[in-house]
Amino acid sequence: MSESRVDTGRVFPKRLTMDGVTPGMEFDEVVFGPLRREDFVRYAEASGDDNPIHQNEEYARSQGAPTVFAMGMLNAGFLATALAGWIGGAQNIKRLKTRFTNRVWAGDEVACSGRVVAIEDGLVKVTVEARRRGPGPEPLNLEKEQTAIVGEADVEVPA
Amino acid sequence: MAQDTIDFDLPIEADHVARFAAAVGAEQDPIFSDPQAAQELGLPGPVAPPTFGVTQIFHVPRGERESRLGANLDYGRVLHGEQEFLIKRLPLVGETLRGEMRIAKDFTKEGKRGGSMRFVTYETRFTDADGDEVMTALYTLIETAKDVG
Repeated sequence: MSESRVDTGRVFPKRLTMDGVTPGMEFDEVVFGPLRREDFVRYAEASGDDNPIHQNEEYARSQGAPTVFAMGMLNAGFLATALAGWIGGAQNIKRLKTRFTNRVWAGDEVACSGRVVAIEDGLVKVTVEARRRGPGPEPLNLEKEQTAIVGEADVEVPA
Repeated sequence: MAQDTIDFDLPIEADHVARFAAAVGAEQDPIFSDPQAAQELGLPGPVAPPTFGVTQIFHVPRGERESRLGANLDYGRVLHGEQEFLIKRLPLVGETLRGEMRIAKDFTKEGKRGGSMRFVTYETRFTDADGDEVMTALYTLIETAKDVG
């Protein structure tokens, strides 16, 4: 049963060659979600990250969170999927570094953006960002949008 | 007794790769499942997604990592701060990688709002059947000060 709620038109990678890459170019935003608790369960089963803070409401509250939230690596996985779509496929990714800055909650979308910062020694240097976008859990009174991941990637695009 | 490294196998199985790809929104990308699509891109066959290396947790659970590498972290105040993958090539479906995990960095710095934070980076180097490097995963945990959160 397909239940994809992602922007599938963009995550099917298009071919890209170096002619199509210039420093400063921005990639089209790719949005995943809104995320549901089932997405956290599915990622837990696929990744092995079974920390109950992502699945069990009571446990999350006992740890000081108002509800469950996404694994950082789930959001990083979305970001890698978006990146693969932008740069001609996952096989071109040679390095991906992600720093986790804010939690992503059920009901949030994960909006991924990226930008070419330089081309050095044949490697395309990209900065990437994932932002949570949504209401957030009520007691937290969060901004509608916050940075969840800042990162950078090195990409090898065929000549 | 703590030791310096943990060695383990990471099998790259088709069904597992498909479930992982679907979980990260990549079910539409044929490179993870379709041999022909992969070959058209010059790959020998379907591959695993770039972040698939995190599934090492199936083979080295936290408890084992803690007891054998001995970082002695208090998980009540530990956050996943950073993750990095250095990728020579993506893992091929059907192969089994060898993982070797060690603590690459362990340092403490003063936080901006007072209290110190400890950064522990676990480095896992994955090699293939020929002993060639496939990728390296750097998993950084932050242990916050006792009086925070």
